[in-house]
Amino acid sequence: MRKISTISKIIIFSVLMVLIILSVCGCKGVFYIPGASYGYYIWEEGSRIFIEWSVDRKDTKFDGEISTDGKINGYELKDWEEGNDTIRVEEDGIVFSATLNGEDYSDGFNFDVQDYTYLEFDLKINDGYDLSRINVGGFLENPENNVFRIEKDYFNQLGMKRWYQKRPFSEFFYKLFSNKYFTFLYLFMLGIIIIEILRMTTLARKRRKIIWLTASYITLILIEICVYFILRFLVR
Amino acid sequence: MKKFFSKLGSIIVTKEIFEDKKSLRTLYRYFLIGLLVRLIFLPFFFQRDLLSTYQRAAETISTGNLGYDNLQIITNLIHTFYLFIIKSIFPAINEIFSVLLEKDTWVSWLGFNSAYNVFTTLTLFKLLYLIFDIVCMFLILRLSFDGEPENKVRVFKYWIFNPIIIFVLYIFARHDIIGVFVTLIALLLAKKDRKYWAIIVLGLAVALRFFPILILPVLVLYLVRTKKDYIILSLAGVSGIAAVEILTRVFFDKSVILPLLRTTHFEYLLAPGLDLVAGSHGSIFIFIAVYIIIILSFLHIKEKSFDILLNYCAMIYLAYLGICFFHPQYMLWLVPFLIIIFVRRKSLLYYHWVQFALLLVLLIYWGDLVTKFVLAPVDHKYFVYLTGIIPIIERFYDSAKFVNIFRSVFTGISLWMIYLVHKDTKILQAEELKNRGN
Repeated sequence: MRKISTISKIIIFSVLMVLIILSVCGCKGVFYIPGASYGYYIWEEGSRIFIEWSVDRKDTKFDGEISTDGKINGYELKDWEEGNDTIRVEEDGIVFSATLNGEDYSDGFNFDVQDYTYLEFDLKINDGYDLSRINVGGFLENPENNVFRIEKDYFNQLGMKRWYQKRPFSEFFYKLFSNKYFTFLYLFMLGIIIIEILRMTTLARKRRKIIWLTASYITLILIEICVYFILRFLVR
Repeated sequence: MKKFFSKLGSIIVTKEIFEDKKSLRTLYRYFLIGLLVRLIFLPFFFQRDLLSTYQRAAETISTGNLGYDNLQIITNLIHTFYLFIIKSIFPAINEIFSVLLEKDTWVSWLGFNSAYNVFTTLTLFKLLYLIFDIVCMFLILRLSFDGEPENKVRVFKYWIFNPIIIFVLYIFARHDIIGVFVTLIALLLAKKDRKYWAIIVLGLAVALRFFPILILPVLVLYLVRTKKDYIILSLAGVSGIAAVEILTRVFFDKSVILPLLRTTHFEYLLAPGLDLVAGSHGSIFIFIAVYIIIILSFLHIKEKSFDILLNYCAMIYLAYLGICFFHPQYMLWLVPFLIIIFVRRKSLLYYHWVQFALLLVLLIYWGDLVTKFVLAPVDHKYFVYLTGIIPIIERFYDSAKFVNIFRSVFTGISLWMIYLVHKDTKILQAEELKNRGN
């Protein structure tokens, strides 16, 4: 009974934590915490493109332009401060300028765009470019040029990216694979220690220890071979 | 051949454990699991200071100036020697050597973390600390519980699974273990009644790291047998430190000891103060006052056993951590003394775990450098741009107040631990008097 009560407490606590995180999370598309995260966050929902920005409660100016070969039908503002923040929307483009500060955690807007093949962005922070702070469709999905374009199916293609192709896993697996002699030696050493622990515990009670030990080492070698192919697949 | 290995086994794990097969098996099991945990963390995490330490060593190799690091000259020499060896053997170190010589701290940090062989380099860098850690875990067996192999194995268990040791050496990657090793040798010499050597070796430990100086007075008080000893041991302590000072001045034209007084370590001791009158110069340094109480309390113990000395060392470091500002790695100095007390008083172990949990919160004091940047070798860009813990806390509450609440809890627990150690000391005293009576 006591165990059930503990489990239920853990579940309630976990649900509450998730709710708290969701309540402070700025958007559905790209996770960011208004007033704590720093940068632009851009994502797509249906035919609407969302652009929001946040900073860690410092006076910061966000301004830029978006242009397209399609047609912008309508737009909605989020946490917009009249007077401080300005926006001009035309059929093929948007120009905006906004500031954030200690009390203003985040701003943004979204717009409906039809019949387009590309969207071109020119986004600045404090009148300069910081491409690593522009997250297009996902965290650290950064553009390569100051003025950058995304094609119509960009977000769909991004959605097809597997977890191991995203940071930090992609970089981690890349380092493991490009430094493979170390990786295999390291794994082999871990394996030897684990086998030795097994020999001292589980295998100590077994009859034919030598067979078990041989099987363990063969398994370790097989794991190493598998790891090689798995890493090769992950970093391809 | 068998005799040789028996002797070697006794030397490594002590005779009592070696002759008790059950204890020996248990110790070996603990050793393997502890080693596994250490190896898991070895290649993936570090704090910026590790890079600075090896950058100083690289600079020493590059310039040939052995007196390069003014403040920690001996620590730098050890790292220089070690770096020189691994550089000669492993190509990975040669490849990263230019990064180590880079003067710009941010550029070198980025270059180090983005290197494809960063895991190899980190493993090799931290291997030095693993070696000292392993030596320390076998040295600590000799500090207490003679003739009690089971208790010795418990001490070993508390060391090998100690969260502070694992965190400081393998996640934070700081070199304090070298100083701890020398301090343990000094204590073992004291236990064997080699009073002069004990004091001289402790002097060397002080030159390695500031903190052993805190236990110097209690060690002197423990070792004195006659009134003459007070003078001789004090002189030995001073001359040990002076010898290091003279040698470094002669060979490197640098002072080692005097700069210690200007270091932040010493400043941290004096920082917690109580102004006697507002606007006046009159104030009390709280740690100094508490420290004097501890020293006097030890002085007035008639029968000072070695275990009582260790308890007082624990009290001194608990007082330091409880009262003064400290960096995470300073907690390592407490561990050798506490783990011995854990065997007699297990409640302290739980409080120690709480201390560790609170330390993880206190890391917020130092910001990104000791929180998310520790994970940077995995993917530096990800952890540089990831929202840090401080902005998240600041979003809801003042981060300094938030951390200081936990810091106050940490202090409360540390002071309570002093009380528990004091209670344990009282029991030890009673036992000591009983033994002397018999």
